[in-house]
Amino acid sequence: MAASIAYVGGHLQYGVNFCMGQSYKQAIWVPSVTFNGCLQRELSWSCGVSKFLQIRKCNLFRSRTNENWKSFGTVITSAYLRDGSTKYFDFAVIGSGVAGLRYALEVAKHGSVAIITKAEPHESNTNYAQGGVSAVLCPSDSVESHMQDTIVAGAYLCDEESVKVVCTEGPDRIRELIAMGASFDHGDDGNLHLAREGGHSHHRIVHAADMTGREIERALLEAVVNDPNISVFKHHFAIDLLTSQDGSDTVCHGIDALNTETQEVVRFISKVTLLASGGAGHIYPSTTNPLVATGDGMAMAHRAQAVISNMEFVQFHPTALADEGLPIKPKKTRENSFLITEAVRGDGGILYNLSMERFMPLYDGRAELAPRDVVARSIDDQLKKRNEKYVLLDISHKPREKILSHFPNIANECLQHGLDITQQPIPVVPAAHYMCGGVRAGLQGETNVHGLYVAGEVACTGLHGANRLASNSLLEALVFARRAVQPSINYMKSSSLDLSASSLWTRPLVPKSLGSDVMHKILRITKEVRKELQSIMWKYVGIVRSTSRLQEAEQKIGKLEAKWETYLFEHGWQQTMVALEACEMRNLFCCAKLVVSSALARNESRGLHYMTDFPHLEESKRLPTVIFPSSHTTGTWSSRQLHQQPIVKSMV
Amino acid sequence: MAKTSLSRLFASLSEHSITKPSFTGSRSDSVTRSAYNSVTRFVCSSAQETQLIREERSNEGDREAAKENLESVNKEEDEGEDGDHVNKETGEVGGPKGPEPTRYGDWERNGRCSDF
Repeated sequence: MAASIAYVGGHLQYGVNFCMGQSYKQAIWVPSVTFNGCLQRELSWSCGVSKFLQIRKCNLFRSRTNENWKSFGTVITSAYLRDGSTKYFDFAVIGSGVAGLRYALEVAKHGSVAIITKAEPHESNTNYAQGGVSAVLCPSDSVESHMQDTIVAGAYLCDEESVKVVCTEGPDRIRELIAMGASFDHGDDGNLHLAREGGHSHHRIVHAADMTGREIERALLEAVVNDPNISVFKHHFAIDLLTSQDGSDTVCHGIDALNTETQEVVRFISKVTLLASGGAGHIYPSTTNPLVATGDGMAMAHRAQAVISNMEFVQFHPTALADEGLPIKPKKTRENSFLITEAVRGDGGILYNLSMERFMPLYDGRAELAPRDVVARSIDDQLKKRNEKYVLLDISHKPREKILSHFPNIANECLQHGLDITQQPIPVVPAAHYMCGGVRAGLQGETNVHGLYVAGEVACTGLHGANRLASNSLLEALVFARRAVQPSINYMKSSSLDLSASSLWTRPLVPKSLGSDVMHKILRITKEVRKELQSIMWKYVGIVRSTSRLQEAEQKIGKLEAKWETYLFEHGWQQTMVALEACEMRNLFCCAKLVVSSALARNESRGLHYMTDFPHLEESKRLPTVIFPSSHTTGTWSSRQLHQQPIVKSMV
Repeated sequence: MAKTSLSRLFASLSEHSITKPSFTGSRSDSVTRSAYNSVTRFVCSSAQETQLIREERSNEGDREAAKENLESVNKEEDEGEDGDHVNKETGEVGGPKGPEPTRYGDWERNGRCSDF
């Protein structure tokens, strides 16, 4: 059942659709933990046994719905006593893509900055953004035109203020990048060369050859490395945000991270935290995202009581090279999909299913030249109906020289795997590319969690609406990262670092006590569970959706998660234990569930979200989908912060 | 690795006329060998290409390194060739040769799409 209400409190100005399904009975905004009046703020998050007893005295309910809590008390005491490394910074930035780096460079002028990144700093979605950045940089172009293009692409679900802000401030952000050393292509007249991508009415795409993202990343990283106020902690995987309750407000105090090289937990206490952790492509089996994109930020924010929005809008590309269809399979799984350009269809490529039936004419009179989203839905529909893994894109009927001169990259790649595209069709399958939704952000990148800001793909600023316009994502990251700077500085100046804060939360635990045999089993199972989750998501939460399939996804994911958690805890895994693969898995579960819940809440088809039982746009549903934090009466490991109290029934 | 250098050669030769390799079905060995044989005459014509044959032999079996090599060589080649290239229609300096990357709405280079 979906309902529209005005948002209670906060900075949103319009009504929202929210999911009132089973998981969100208490979807009205309530604090997830009610320690008010019972404990001072300083004591609220410690999980030692003695404090546990104090809590009981305060008449808070605790429901033991989960057997896993049996050993909770003893475990936490020992964890509480353990010492560990704590670092103190004015600003903590999670993620080293364009949003994180851009923000860091500005706030570093006012305080110390830690950039926490889970792999090498350049390993981000930004680095793979190889088109361009859109901005109004041509005299004959206008902010209004860019806004209009954005809103049309977003199927009118965009937040108009966000769109205005991004389109207006974009050009200055580009100029700053150039001043920082990013070099973009120019025309022979000395001006920036602007390309025109689909959906844009003007030439407005700034680019650096075809490696724009990489060039921006390079320029920003260089500046970051040279900044004495910025410390980069690479191979530090962010586990959970450190939060506390101040009345009805949730406040963020920093982040726990795991140094995956040394297997040590590091606690970062910071006055301000920016979440810029990127996307979640790996909830699907086929994605253009690098391996790091496992939705860590969205999951951590949700667990920290931040509001999540529009997660149903996942952008897919219809024709990524399908490795399963290649005669010679790649030796290891391709990290990020190879997208086959629309130009192949534009130049006469024909789509066939595996029975060599041309299916596009069944879906659209324009056949292969139908708009991309129609093609994506058609391919998805064929694959689901026929229970197949890929379709075929055939260009072999075209002149050989033309094929090789226009598409040498595809020709090479396929040839390396035993396929000659001048003779045989290309196996293709849709790939997940971009998350339009994420952590709900206001115009300054602020969230409902005090001291927590978001920017980039992890955020939902309202810019993209129901579908992202090409080249707008790098722009959004730049603009919002910059906008979050002043509010962050103001907030930082008005807060003080509590040096004893570090002991307020139980420290995560590295699973040394389990031994390598058990760890090996756990890692193996986790790997299989990840594949199973991705398979469920693709099969039931793909491009063409329906209520029954989404409900089935909900069931299957719930069962899979329970099975996985049971396995872990049966093998001695403890509540506060951390390992990269396990933490990523819990984040993937969290994000997958957010996508499914959001998809179930939108009973219309709009932009990227298509429902066979609600195939049309409904004007009355032109509202964002918002997920409020739930009170964790039936919480799983993936939905609770590691250091959080065991299940507490909130006062309803 | 044989296949990587072969495809790199295909990339550099794509703008010249190519002798049709005789692919005799889907068996990888025959594909590689016959295609390779048919392009060796192009290979020997320059020092750069001769060097590639040496690279290919030493990199055999190391697909990852070879793939990176391919990408960086492609990149170098593009930069080297396009450094002074001015697009007659758009006036773009140093841009891509060949068809306009955004001609079908998405952003493509050599068939691979990177934005849409």
